[in-house]
Amino acid sequence: MILLASGVQANAHAGHISIGGISFSTIDDPAPDPYGDFSTLVVPIKRAGNLIIIEAKVDSITGNFVLDTGAPHLVLNATYFRDMPRIANQESGGVNGEVANSFITEVQNFAILDLFYKRLKADVTDLSAIENGRNIKILGLLGTRLFAKLAITVDIFNNVLYIHKLNSDGDISPAELPFSKPFMKTGFKLMNDVIFLKTSINNNTLWMAFDTGAETNLLDYRRSKKIIRNFEVLSTSKLTGVGGSVFEIIYAKLDKLMVGENLFTKNQVVLTSLDNMGKAYGHSVDGILGYDFFMRGVFTINFVKKEFAMYTYKV
Amino acid sequence: MFLRCLVIIILLLAGGLPMRAQQRNSLTLANDKLILQIDKRSAKNYLDTILTRAGVNGDNISTKILKGDYSALTSKGWQLAENSRFKVRFNRALNINFSAPVVQQPFIITTNTVNSEGSPGYPADVLYGVNKFGLQTVRELPNGMTRFFVPGNLTAKRVYVSGSFNMWSLSKGIMLKTDSGWITDVKLKPGIYAYKFIINGNWTHDVNNKLTEHDGFNHVNSIYYRYNYTFRFKGFQKSAKVFVAGSFNKWNTNEIPLTRNNNGWQASMYLHDGTFLYRFMLDGRWITDPANKSKANDEKGLIASVINLGEMVNFKLKGYTNANKVCIAGSFNNWQPERIFLKKTDNLWQLPVIIPQGNYGYKYIVDGKWITDPANTCYVNEGGETNSFIAVKPNYTFKLLGYLNAQSVRVAGSFNNWNPDQYTMGRKGDEWILNIKLPVGKTRYKFVVDGNWILDPGNKQWESNEFDTGNSVIWIDPETSTKTI
Repeated sequence: MILLASGVQANAHAGHISIGGISFSTIDDPAPDPYGDFSTLVVPIKRAGNLIIIEAKVDSITGNFVLDTGAPHLVLNATYFRDMPRIANQESGGVNGEVANSFITEVQNFAILDLFYKRLKADVTDLSAIENGRNIKILGLLGTRLFAKLAITVDIFNNVLYIHKLNSDGDISPAELPFSKPFMKTGFKLMNDVIFLKTSINNNTLWMAFDTGAETNLLDYRRSKKIIRNFEVLSTSKLTGVGGSVFEIIYAKLDKLMVGENLFTKNQVVLTSLDNMGKAYGHSVDGILGYDFFMRGVFTINFVKKEFAMYTYKV
Repeated sequence: MFLRCLVIIILLLAGGLPMRAQQRNSLTLANDKLILQIDKRSAKNYLDTILTRAGVNGDNISTKILKGDYSALTSKGWQLAENSRFKVRFNRALNINFSAPVVQQPFIITTNTVNSEGSPGYPADVLYGVNKFGLQTVRELPNGMTRFFVPGNLTAKRVYVSGSFNMWSLSKGIMLKTDSGWITDVKLKPGIYAYKFIINGNWTHDVNNKLTEHDGFNHVNSIYYRYNYTFRFKGFQKSAKVFVAGSFNKWNTNEIPLTRNNNGWQASMYLHDGTFLYRFMLDGRWITDPANKSKANDEKGLIASVINLGEMVNFKLKGYTNANKVCIAGSFNNWQPERIFLKKTDNLWQLPVIIPQGNYGYKYIVDGKWITDPANTCYVNEGGETNSFIAVKPNYTFKLLGYLNAQSVRVAGSFNNWNPDQYTMGRKGDEWILNIKLPVGKTRYKFVVDGNWILDPGNKQWESNEFDTGNSVIWIDPETSTKTI
């Protein structure tokens, strides 16, 4: 989810991704098969800042989860799940070799209303920063693998999530489509369970991660400065890293962004270095499409067909 | 991707930035530099806008700059690049830090949108409130519960009520189908609440409730006041109209009508804790409440009735039998010393005092000498002064078992800016305790035992912190419980 991980460490060789001293597994088991008696499940959403929150049940505990296409699978917040059984400890990814306070567990029963999963593997890690910015109790993150055999539609304007079962062709049954005539439709690449959309700025192609857990759009500064001249700056902030190093975040205006074949205007974007972030994705990342992008319309992600569609469009 | 985190919240300028700000002022990015161009003919407010965007803030900076004093900019690393009659341009090198050594912790960029009182969905407390329904869909039951009702929708699969009273839970407020609609009973304490219904997964406000607030998106939340007070006025059955007005509604005479009942008139409402003056208006004529002996003068010197809402606290001071007078003063009365006099009975000075709920410091004043309460070992440090501490209607008790040889045990956390000197816990049996009223939502805290910060050994919930030592975590729910009947 959270977009800017400065100082991301990559350890991709061992089937593990490690970020900022925390690694989480690229769980190699086949995606869990969900089951449930529905063709389209209507799930109410609530919002915390720019995050999309739905409720789910882990064994006997019900609470808030962030819908996070930037996370590969289910992640549980260590504050409340520290005592879950440990299947494996995470590899230490820290530069100094410190042991990351993170492990893999298995949830016996997991449910989103009528959608059920059995024996679901999950990472347990500290998510306190998400809670503390918003004063909302967060039990975890719902990553892409949960929906690997499904499609989801997010109606950001009415705060509803639709979870669709797919027919044998991998399509949502036409009768179940909550919206029709998409404003845009484009294929996507799924790499390490992260969705990458093809975008272009001034005729330069950029592959951007689509991350519903990202509260802003991000562009890699070094790549983007070559293709955009005279960014209009909306604000600047300085961050102080560990050890007192200071660096800047620039919030800028990006007038024209093509996603798929469609033009999005008046975008806002954070410019920073995403070098290390790309290593974590296992693929260079030019940018991240977050809230400023997906708040433009109702969108559907079909994980089987690897198709992204947006239905309405607001500037 | 996620992380053990050093939280850094950036206040991204929310929403629509003033794009129309004068074009002649600009802040752009080129050649790894920020470029600030200022038109010397700019109005001060336009200049302020662009300076804020450039991260240069402060009083009168724009005035100074317009007068040619650029020290505020140069001291922040801006270099003068061009200066002509109408235009001045500055550059500043960027520090995006690509090549810096890998930083251990990641950062989180977020808008700072805490669900605090006063933000949509969490209405701020008010002095008073009166409901306004078309069809009354929310009502108080004789057992003290509040019943929510959704008429019809009998083909729906699931219906919920979700609101500030259940932290906008999507599951707790499940409603039960009856032959005319859906109901659920919720226990509410007096106050203001925002809510919506969720019918088959779709949010809707209560169309029968005329009170709403903007929900922060494109819709509205319904607003309900749980009542705690009824003004009653006996007799005068032949009067045409009776209103109540008071200091709580700024003496607005036509706002709150009383309705006729068997032996007089009445009006119920939510009324905040505190002391209020009020009068009835009877066919255009002011009168005080004949049933209330407590009277005082209003701001204009006119006589009014007085009500005092809050919790009764019995202050007791043992001994001091030779003292001539004992007063109590505290943050609940702005520390005014000669206002509240305790009464002497046998070996004891005492007085019941009505105080609104909250956290307070207090002291006794015995013949002019200020002393802390010898019967209370909880203290609060206010401005360097140690006072006795009391929480009226506390919603949490901090407890630490053992540490019996400790000289001092304190508690500090997100509720007091982690000030380790503010709250001293009191010893009770083999544990240290402090009753306190905490804000609804998340509280992070630690105990400070003789200067050493420790996690709460009695609380399994803790999270990482920047010192790698952890903070204990509790969540304070609104004081309600939901029960489906």
